[in-house]
Amino acid sequence: MTASWRAVWLSRTILIVVSALVLMPLVYLVGISFKAPQLIFANPILPFTIPPSLENYQAVLRQMDIPRYLLNSVAFAGSVTLGQLALAIPAAFSFAYFNFRFKNLLLGLIIISLMVPFVVTYIPNYLLLARWRLINTLPGLILPMLGISLGFGIFLLRQHFMSFPREVMEAAMIDGANSWDILWRVLMPANLSPVLAVGIYVLINTWNQFIWPLLVGGGNPRSYTLTVAVQIFYTSPEGGDYWGAIMAASVLTSLPTAIIFLLMRRRVLTTFVDGAIKG
Amino acid sequence: MAVRAKTAAAAAQAGQTRRLRFQKLVPYLYIAPALIFIFIFVFYPLARTVQISFYEWNIVRDRQNYVGLDNYARLLADPNFRQIIGQTLVYLLIAVVAVVALPISLAFLTLQLTDKEVDFYQSAMFFPTVIATSVATLVWVWFYLPTRTGLFNTLLQPFGVTQPVQWLTDSFTALPAVALVANWKVMGFHFLLALAGLKAIPRDYLEAAYVDGAHGWSLMRRVILPLFAPTGLFLLVITLIQGLEYVFVPIRVMTLGGPANASNNLMYAIYQEGFQFFRAGYASAMSVVMILLFGGFALLQYRLLDRRVHYDR
Repeated sequence: MTASWRAVWLSRTILIVVSALVLMPLVYLVGISFKAPQLIFANPILPFTIPPSLENYQAVLRQMDIPRYLLNSVAFAGSVTLGQLALAIPAAFSFAYFNFRFKNLLLGLIIISLMVPFVVTYIPNYLLLARWRLINTLPGLILPMLGISLGFGIFLLRQHFMSFPREVMEAAMIDGANSWDILWRVLMPANLSPVLAVGIYVLINTWNQFIWPLLVGGGNPRSYTLTVAVQIFYTSPEGGDYWGAIMAASVLTSLPTAIIFLLMRRRVLTTFVDGAIKG
Repeated sequence: MAVRAKTAAAAAQAGQTRRLRFQKLVPYLYIAPALIFIFIFVFYPLARTVQISFYEWNIVRDRQNYVGLDNYARLLADPNFRQIIGQTLVYLLIAVVAVVALPISLAFLTLQLTDKEVDFYQSAMFFPTVIATSVATLVWVWFYLPTRTGLFNTLLQPFGVTQPVQWLTDSFTALPAVALVANWKVMGFHFLLALAGLKAIPRDYLEAAYVDGAHGWSLMRRVILPLFAPTGLFLLVITLIQGLEYVFVPIRVMTLGGPANASNNLMYAIYQEGFQFFRAGYASAMSVVMILLFGGFALLQYRLLDRRVHYDR
């Protein structure tokens, strides 16, 4: 392999440079949030000032109702995640365990549901929620998300359930277990890891949602999620040029998903690979 | 006595058929809740979009008129629509270079590196994927500030660009500026997918391809590239299908499709018609056109997935 030392170093250099460029905006995001407000444009190329300042964070906590938006984001992302798991687990089990008429047709429909671009369904869904008087409410944010990306969890869990040894389930059946017992007592304990993985995937994606929460919840601060609140602060007169505060609010919004990623890096990466069917 | 025994037997049999019938229903009962949600929030809205496309419908004033195919006729005659279709193609072309060709090339660069080192690059590049696009876009807005103190304008000053560039409001730079943010956000994710595709290729082939030159190249071309082709095709197809979704939020945050539609595309224009101009009928007609244009890609993706569904056991 000695012949290709130069090639190795060339590859390595390119990958390091690209990695650094990709991370750069995040470095500025964090850096600006800790710059003293009057120094933000003093030297724009430097991402940090020394000493770091907490002034921007204090300003954000003063001007924005962060606890409320945080609670809304938690309720939104948490409900969608738990709701999708509750709907996807039994469905995935059925597709993996039973044989029945129209099985392939139904599975096909579920996959097709993932390919419908979201803008196509937004107007009718908005009209539907308006009829149910759910605009600017958390249930209005949550309910459509239980259907729109549900197919992903069903599809992924089905793959895992299918690789579970059938003999174990049949042995349980001979012992008198019905399908409900088999799902919850046999299959689930053995598949907690993929279920958790799907949960993490849905949680990250829902937490980061912006357009839908803006459309349905953007009319009333009571239903702002963090992503919506940050954007509305950015476009408001008091937020306008207050870049330090905007970045501080952005960091607070990004913290939960960033922490999940850093703590469970390998699991998140494999889940996103498995989940590539949705992209 | 005999009569009673007979009825008891009949009852037992009836009970059994009921049980059997219930047994047949069980698989559907497990799926029903999920399907109900998918139908209410995906397929019903889809059908409704087709229906609304035949109406002139203002969602704010809630006035609706049946107009037949008028929306479609107007759409085809609209020069703006043609411009938007053209820009949609430009967006997709940029995406194919930036988030298909680039991550695949980068993945091939990792072939001689250790897993541990590659893991570092893949984690670093993946990081933006877990950050909300709307929030990440704001730091780019700061980069693109049209003043002298904007980061990009500051960086350009040593190169003699003293007049600050109006990145987001200049019709030449708006589209590339928005596309850069979108592609920055997903490049690392596609790099991850490309690496996963490479991992499926037996290590021996890869090492052999690198160790000796001329023979290595032909091995690369004849063995490795064909083995990698499904991954490449998959990346291409999801990029064509979702490229417009990637760039949606950056447009919403940075340019709103402007200036004068310069950074607009088919998907964002639908949203604009619906939720900014409140012309639900016209927006729905555009949606139907988009489904027809992109349906082919979706079918291809379905075929690729279908293979995974049936042979991936």
